[in-house]
Amino acid sequence: MSLDDHAPSIGILANPAAGRDIRRLVAQASVFPIAEKRNMITRLFSSLGEIGVATVYMMSDGNGIADRIRHALETPPPSGQTWPRIVFLDMPIEDRAIDTLVAVEKMVEHGVGGIIVLGGDGTHRLVASRAGDVPITALSTGTNNVFPAMREATIAGLAAGLVAMGQVPVAAGAIRNKVLRIDVNGAQTDLALVDLCTSTELWVGSRALWRAEGLDQLFLSFAEADAIGLSSIGGLLRPVAREAEGGLWLNLADPATAPIIIAAPLAPGLMIDIGIEEVHDLHPGEAITLRTERGVVALDGERELEFSQNDKLVVRLEWDGPLTLDISKVMTYAAENELLKRKNAN
Amino acid sequence: MPLGKDELLKAYRMMKTIREFEERLHVEFATGEIPGFVHLYAGEEASATGFCMHLDERDKIASNHRGHGHSIGKGCDVHAMMAEIYGRGNGLCGGKGGSMHIADLSKGMMGANGIVGGGSPLACGAALAAKQLGTNGVALSFFGDGASNQGTSMESLNLASVWNLPIVFVVENNGYAEATSSKYSVACDDAADRASAFNMPGVVVDGHDFFAVHEAAGEAIKRAREGKGPTLIECKLNRYYGHFEGDAQTYRGKDEVKNLRATIDCLDRFRAKVTSAELLSEAELNAIDGEVAALIDDSVVKAQAAPMPAPAELLTDVYISY
Repeated sequence: MSLDDHAPSIGILANPAAGRDIRRLVAQASVFPIAEKRNMITRLFSSLGEIGVATVYMMSDGNGIADRIRHALETPPPSGQTWPRIVFLDMPIEDRAIDTLVAVEKMVEHGVGGIIVLGGDGTHRLVASRAGDVPITALSTGTNNVFPAMREATIAGLAAGLVAMGQVPVAAGAIRNKVLRIDVNGAQTDLALVDLCTSTELWVGSRALWRAEGLDQLFLSFAEADAIGLSSIGGLLRPVAREAEGGLWLNLADPATAPIIIAAPLAPGLMIDIGIEEVHDLHPGEAITLRTERGVVALDGERELEFSQNDKLVVRLEWDGPLTLDISKVMTYAAENELLKRKNAN
Repeated sequence: MPLGKDELLKAYRMMKTIREFEERLHVEFATGEIPGFVHLYAGEEASATGFCMHLDERDKIASNHRGHGHSIGKGCDVHAMMAEIYGRGNGLCGGKGGSMHIADLSKGMMGANGIVGGGSPLACGAALAAKQLGTNGVALSFFGDGASNQGTSMESLNLASVWNLPIVFVVENNGYAEATSSKYSVACDDAADRASAFNMPGVVVDGHDFFAVHEAAGEAIKRAREGKGPTLIECKLNRYYGHFEGDAQTYRGKDEVKNLRATIDCLDRFRAKVTSAELLSEAELNAIDGEVAALIDDSVVKAQAAPMPAPAELLTDVYISY
């Protein structure tokens, strides 16, 4: 750590790959252009500068967001604004998920007071696995997003900056999240923030999970009735709030024989009938051994782990997930405490 | 629908045949016996295979200068291909096309193409013909990140969308347009981003993973066959050799290719997946390795022994009577 690192700082992590997967072909998922991510980031600079954040650490990447930000920095900020110093992390670039993990580790090493994430559930899952107790500001730019919300970046930057500067206490603006952890053969392997689903499909393939055939078991940390993606299955059957103590797990079945069928929006523009055999409460700490003999595990909607009949997989719901900022709570606190109120200079 | 054992064996054989064909050409080209330019496809096999496994005799493909893999994928005869590259009279095009103009219309392989971005307009024509004739065929255009910047590519994307053609545009982004990094030369971040401007789906897949390519390709080809229009799929992959044989590759990092071969090999990945899933055995895959090696060896021996085209052949196949 340098002396500079003790000044208030924020990390911004924007996943350049979010929003390019097969759901644009098999569903009607939206395209989130890199140019708009760049615009969101410069709006974050504006509000972070306004709050007084000194330094922003950003992930280097090979896909153009970093280049576009460098280009934006070649011209002065809009009149009357002072942007923070922008530092691109010195890191190897592999154009893979490992880049996100390395970047978050480096941001934490630099002592950032928060990490603003632009991405989908998958990107947030990766950040959550390395962020520890650094509060995350979750902004949606992916496809089936349940964990992050679509929020105006200007406001998100204000909220993240107020917390990073200590003007809003973390306890007043952040919430702890549940997480689904999966062990493979006794070793803690990965996590999901919203949904963990097994399928009898054999391959990770193009990653997204959008077919009903083969879906076998579904674990949900929370399930909202107005969600999209796998968690909508639980959300439309037995909603579970994000802040509720437990979660849900469901055994799925062929809709032709299942006692319950839910018409679920599995992806944008894609409604699929899902058969449900059983639904159970998922209690924190309870270990559930998966029944699926071989196939893949999807974490937050994307196939990640291939497993065989020789593997033993166990899922647990835990309350040791990431801290995320509740932007509305932070801004309400700011209003109540007049943090953005200015005195008339005259 | 999961791939059955026969299809998995076919996929491995196709990928292995492409790899062996290219590795052998790399060796043979250095002897000076092969005329013209050769652009090798080694490292990109999962793309040609993942797409071509879905095609049949109704379908047509247009390729680019790096066309051996696409030709093998579409079913061109390996012996005739090797003879063509050696410029022999019994080659696929009578020895007149060579590597960069190799074609077999009887197989629906409309040709490798020396014009960067030259394949997509041809594929649009084939797709239009399929639509007008009601064959239910589809056309594929394989091109690179460099060609994705060409006007012909943009015009083809536009025309395909306007006419709702049964076509799939396959951008094989191997990171370099000749010696220029795609990170510099492609103004958008993924070539697939361009699709939305032409009102069609654009998807990025891991071009090193046969199963990822095969899955996305299947959906796009099914969509085209069902009359739902064109798709653009960008396969992110790497080439193991230079732009052409003889390219000193000074634009690539030290040990870049060595590291790629060690860590991202589509054949290794395929082998690891199917054996760990106990769908195919090492012995079955090794047997294919042996058969393919013998096939390629035989194709080289026969090509080298075959006669050159006779002088009387100079003007045949040049003009066509209508």
